[in-house]
Amino acid sequence: MLNIQNRQEGTASIVTIQGKVNFEVTAQLRDVIRDTVTTQQPKLLVINLEGVNFIDSSGLGLLVAARNSIDKNNGKLHLCGLPPQVKKTFDQTNLTNYFSIFATEQDALRGA
Amino acid sequence: MGKGVVLVVDDEVQIRDILAFYLKRAGYQVLLAEHGLAALSEIAKVQPDLILSDLRMPEMPGDDLCLKLKGDPKTRDIYFILVSAIDGAASKIGGLNLGADDMIAKPFHAQEVMAKVESAFRLIAMQKEIKRQNLELTRYQERMTAELSLAAQLQMGLLPAVPGRAVGLCYTHRYLPAEGIGGDIYSIVPVPDGGTALLIADVSGHGVTAALISAMVKTSFEAQVRLGGTPLDWANGMNRDLAQTTLAEQFATAFLAHLDPKDGLFRYVVAGHERPILIPRGACTGSKLPIQLPGKGFMLGIDEALTFSEEQTTLAIGDRLILFTDGLVEVEREDRSLLGQEGLIRLCATLPANAEQAADQIIEQVCTFNAPQPFLDDVTLVVIDRCG
Repeated sequence: MLNIQNRQEGTASIVTIQGKVNFEVTAQLRDVIRDTVTTQQPKLLVINLEGVNFIDSSGLGLLVAARNSIDKNNGKLHLCGLPPQVKKTFDQTNLTNYFSIFATEQDALRGA
Repeated sequence: MGKGVVLVVDDEVQIRDILAFYLKRAGYQVLLAEHGLAALSEIAKVQPDLILSDLRMPEMPGDDLCLKLKGDPKTRDIYFILVSAIDGAASKIGGLNLGADDMIAKPFHAQEVMAKVESAFRLIAMQKEIKRQNLELTRYQERMTAELSLAAQLQMGLLPAVPGRAVGLCYTHRYLPAEGIGGDIYSIVPVPDGGTALLIADVSGHGVTAALISAMVKTSFEAQVRLGGTPLDWANGMNRDLAQTTLAEQFATAFLAHLDPKDGLFRYVVAGHERPILIPRGACTGSKLPIQLPGKGFMLGIDEALTFSEEQTTLAIGDRLILFTDGLVEVEREDRSLLGQEGLIRLCATLPANAEQAADQIIEQVCTFNAPQPFLDDVTLVVIDRCG
């Protein structure tokens, strides 16, 4: 159901997620993010949500926890490619103002 | 303690003697019977772990004995080895089809029989262990189920009794937790200033953890309300409570409000929750034009430093509010479409004036829309009518 890919570009790590992010898959996603943060210790973690068609509250919780753990390591978390349905969820929960959100992966990597 | 009990069934006394000699020497307790009927009466006295039975015997042959034992739940777990003079694959398959666990061809070497017996006892020991573990698991599961159902009852007890009435409001609810116990909660309580406070909240996740946090959310809300203040104060206080006590990924979306019954002023905070639907004159007959209340804000419990904002509107007598959690509208159908909040607003345009009927109609229509699998998440629906 959920497809997660993970690659590095310079000092940045990029996690690309495709599918439905809900309670059933958060454990899988949590492991990938935790491994990425602990083993690669990236200065910048980009999570690309382009292929995500749905995210529920546990998925949002996971992203918030990811931001907090990266903050502790003095890194940054950038989200990018939010599809309209996901954008709506972020707007409703005001998380648009909590995360640094970019239109494309290139923008997120540049931090612009 | 012996290694186990073996029943040898054979009409030839020499074979019984040879097998008994080897088995006893290897440490087994040995029972003897000269045919199937005698074996049955032995088994009635002491149940063996394993039976070595000849096929052709007077009174009751080995195949009949095997069928009888394997057909009885009390004896079907006894390991059954059929010893048969008829060699060849056909006979072996026939024996195994009867339910025998293994076959030995006659004439046999005593060592071969002993090797099969030893291997059978290893299997028997494993089976016994699996059975024991199964029993333990079943008991554990029964205990957990009983505890969960008790917890579910307790959680239901945390909800307001319906149909209910508070100053300026009448309300009812439909509460459908996904796993018997869930993370949805709502509360309607009086405020020291004479008004009424209300909350609906949805804790991230499911099951026991979410249920525990939901109880905490309710307690935190009611404690805030007792302090007086506004919904904004309550949201800030609850956010602090939750941020300090829950783990990294645990949050609650919530809608908190205060109704002043004197002038119908309705002040509220949307904390990442689905905005309620307001149906002007919804509790009256006539056509309806439902709208969704404006507002947005963070979920509770993410970060103590986050701020919230308060909105306000006026509720006239006869106006209706529909409060709900996302489980009601976010069920993906096979064609990948969702009812969504827009769909729920459409359903609200045709609700009857009676609140109970309205609640039933929403659940019914949402179930029909979501069919065949109506709900996956906890679902809470609260119908609140402004009354005098």
